[in-house]
Amino acid sequence: MLERSVDRRRGGHRSRPNVVKAHLDAIATAAKRLLEPPITLPYPDYMEARPPGYRGVILFHYEKCIGCSLCAQICPARAIKMYRVPGDKRLRPGYNVGRCIFCGLCVDICPVDALSESLVHDKVYEDVPSMDMDPVDWALWSRRVMDEERSPEKPLLRARLDPERGIVYEEAQPASSGGEG
Amino acid sequence: MALVQLPGMVGRELGSSEGLRVVELNIGAQHPASGHMRLIVYLDGDVIVRVDPDIGYVHRTVEKLAEGREYVRIISLVERMTIIDACNVTLPYVEAVERLLGVEPPPRARYLRTILCEVNRIASHLYGLGIGGIFLNHSTMYMWAFGDREVFIHLASLLTGSRLTHTYPVFGGVRRDLPQVFREEFEKAKRYMLRRLREYDKVFFNNPVIRGRLEGVGVMTAKQAVALGATGPNLRASGVRYDARMTGYAAYGELDFEPVVGSEGDALERVWVRLREIEASLELIDRALRGLPEGPFMAEKFTKTVPPAVRHWLGKGRLKLPGSYVRLKTRPGEVLGRGEMGRGEITYYLVSDGGMKPYRLRIVTPSARNVVLFDALARGHTLMDLPAIYGSIDYFPPEADR
Amino acid sequence: MDPLAWLASALGLPRWALRAVAAPLVYPGLLTFMAVALFVIWAERKMAARVQMRVGPLYVSRRLGGALQLLADGIRFAFQEIIVPVGAEKWSFILSPILAFTVASLAFTMVPGGPGVYGFRSSLSLIAAYAILSLVPILVIIMGWASNNKFTYIGAGREALVAVTGEATLLASMLAAAMMYGSMDFVSIVEEQARSHVPGIVANPVAALLFFIAALLVTDRVPFDLVMGEQEIVQGPYTEYTGILYALVMALDYLKLYVLMLMFTHLFLAGWAPFSDPLLGSVWVFAKTLALMLFAVFLRSVYGRMRLDQVASMFWSRLFPLALTAFALSALIHPVYAQP
Repeated sequence: MLERSVDRRRGGHRSRPNVVKAHLDAIATAAKRLLEPPITLPYPDYMEARPPGYRGVILFHYEKCIGCSLCAQICPARAIKMYRVPGDKRLRPGYNVGRCIFCGLCVDICPVDALSESLVHDKVYEDVPSMDMDPVDWALWSRRVMDEERSPEKPLLRARLDPERGIVYEEAQPASSGGEG
Repeated sequence: MALVQLPGMVGRELGSSEGLRVVELNIGAQHPASGHMRLIVYLDGDVIVRVDPDIGYVHRTVEKLAEGREYVRIISLVERMTIIDACNVTLPYVEAVERLLGVEPPPRARYLRTILCEVNRIASHLYGLGIGGIFLNHSTMYMWAFGDREVFIHLASLLTGSRLTHTYPVFGGVRRDLPQVFREEFEKAKRYMLRRLREYDKVFFNNPVIRGRLEGVGVMTAKQAVALGATGPNLRASGVRYDARMTGYAAYGELDFEPVVGSEGDALERVWVRLREIEASLELIDRALRGLPEGPFMAEKFTKTVPPAVRHWLGKGRLKLPGSYVRLKTRPGEVLGRGEMGRGEITYYLVSDGGMKPYRLRIVTPSARNVVLFDALARGHTLMDLPAIYGSIDYFPPEADR
Repeated sequence: MDPLAWLASALGLPRWALRAVAAPLVYPGLLTFMAVALFVIWAERKMAARVQMRVGPLYVSRRLGGALQLLADGIRFAFQEIIVPVGAEKWSFILSPILAFTVASLAFTMVPGGPGVYGFRSSLSLIAAYAILSLVPILVIIMGWASNNKFTYIGAGREALVAVTGEATLLASMLAAAMMYGSMDFVSIVEEQARSHVPGIVANPVAALLFFIAALLVTDRVPFDLVMGEQEIVQGPYTEYTGILYALVMALDYLKLYVLMLMFTHLFLAGWAPFSDPLLGSVWVFAKTLALMLFAVFLRSVYGRMRLDQVASMFWSRLFPLALTAFALSALIHPVYAQP
């Protein structure tokens, strides 16, 4: 025979609010919220201005690189590989932004500031091969990303905390990641 | 698999047609409320006689992958088990490796780790509350919890520069110093959250409909909880005073940490313990910020070999690593790392043969321990109680599957 | 001049015939219902979004705040492929949603939309409208059975339970109201309230509350959305439906809600009184019905879902006995409405 009686032990010392009051409280609390504005970031029309020190896509400054390959060694996702560049004696890092997990360890270990983090996170690519960049591509692409940082396509909104409303987005001026180091 | 002995049914392994009394219902893997898993539910009428959680849909061989990587690269690998609770999941691993390396993080680093751990815990609990809410079709709780979680994600991104996968604690310290704005922003977040918790009470916890769904459902006594190996808020809700933070890792030993313990052991109590832990975590962060010691945020052992060209970053609160950091060698040995995540205790068992990569990294995550609760708690309840029980356990498949 | 009378004379048809067609098809019937459904579902999503700190539907017709989202969805549903599962009972599967929708909209022949705006006036129109509505659950159960799927079976079982549980209380509160007015005709019920200047909700609040709660249950609204119970049984009896059939079954609950709230307006909110002009009276009835529907859908952002056994015990052991109190109250109040 199946044991159908489940031990529905009632909370012994748990306070039970008055049922009618609890219903009215719930409805009133929800209804009060009807008048308050949403906290959503109107995303495709506005972009979020990332806080200073944000870890976006990695920028490469070719002229500073000494070709030590530490970045490629520390990269947990193997997004950075070393390439042989024609006319250059040293190996240089290339970057697959599709594999990148934005941990920023490569920036931390770079001994000469040849790598830096941008404030740009949302990039769209038309195909997979264009996400895999060799060192020269990466360096040129980094300049474009820096331009984009300075003059973004969409207006920016910066998140700020508010003790009454939680997160609030307000108009912000583009900031630079200080990518030049 | 052993013979299924079910009341009113001759086991289906016998291929008997008499088993028709029990309906086998597949909840998942494509089901609005299953997550990345499948629950095979056996129903007698509307009563659950057995639940078989079919796990492994998001198994990513984290343990095996770890054997082929240098220690520092494993941090962001293990982080991927629970990206919503990133600091808590990596910290025990980092501390375990630190013990093998013989590195002691400076006090400021330990405090900063604690702060991020608690910010993560709040975000993780809010995630759990939200999912618990939508399991009862309470869409407002779902959206509120996720909306308010954004506040703590914002705090974490101020501190670490990343919203979810922080990779913040590294061997010997942390990667960023506390930014100027953090204290002020946290003060606002705390005031906001405490006010919001009262609203959660009104709309969710004291809501008679929700009370009815959670109260007396999936009751687990303290004895049962210990026998089943439940962990985290689920264990504490049954009245067991146990929390891995009581071992005093990071800065918990210096912050007068006191675990939140419930008593009833039902679904409501489990959700409630999480709610009160949010308050407790806010208090802990407050205490940690007030007692935050001055000094470096990275061990001297590593900072002294940072190339002079990039040293200036350390003064600006940004970490720079020496080149040797990639190829750290530990002493041979075995070490156990324990820590309390949002969902319970995580254990790393690390075996090193003295090389650059671990010989073996065994991980036991809290969700992997809590998965037994599905069957133990759901038996005898109706089908409608299953989402309530699922929501109250706060099970997270990617974490359990590793 | 009455537009209906003018049209009748122009077409050379008797007035009642035109009315019997116009009421279920134009107002308060299908055409109006479509506009109501578009608005109410949009408002439901928009209100829930506001409460939940979100934006809600927006990008279809931005200037209208996303009000045409439902129209876009409807067009998409209309052109979507209708998939009939291999194991399904084909004709029952296809016909039952169509039949359910048709049957439910027949109730508009009985329920007036304003003074003189109705299909048929009968001394039993209240009970006839209810009888038509109570056919729908049977068709929903057929949907669940025809789909041949475990989730739809469970959903159909729940529909059976909900129909029996909810409609007992619904009928009891309706009869209590009818007893109070001494009539089962919507028109004379409204006239009684107009004459005595006491709306039914003041005279018998218990019956009004019971009617509203039971209407929430039979129309599958939160906190009683057991039949669709997404977190347990996917979409209940409607799980396997696609395309325009899915749109029909989704609209079915809103159709029932619209009819029931229209009935609520007449039974407890004095219908079109104090207006006697067909146009003004209709607008007044419509406004009250819409407000009731908006409150009903607003509850989605307040509550979760109640458990099956809790709903059953709440209705059978608490609300149904309360309906007896409503009867007693009606007997006491009856003299207020009794014809001199």
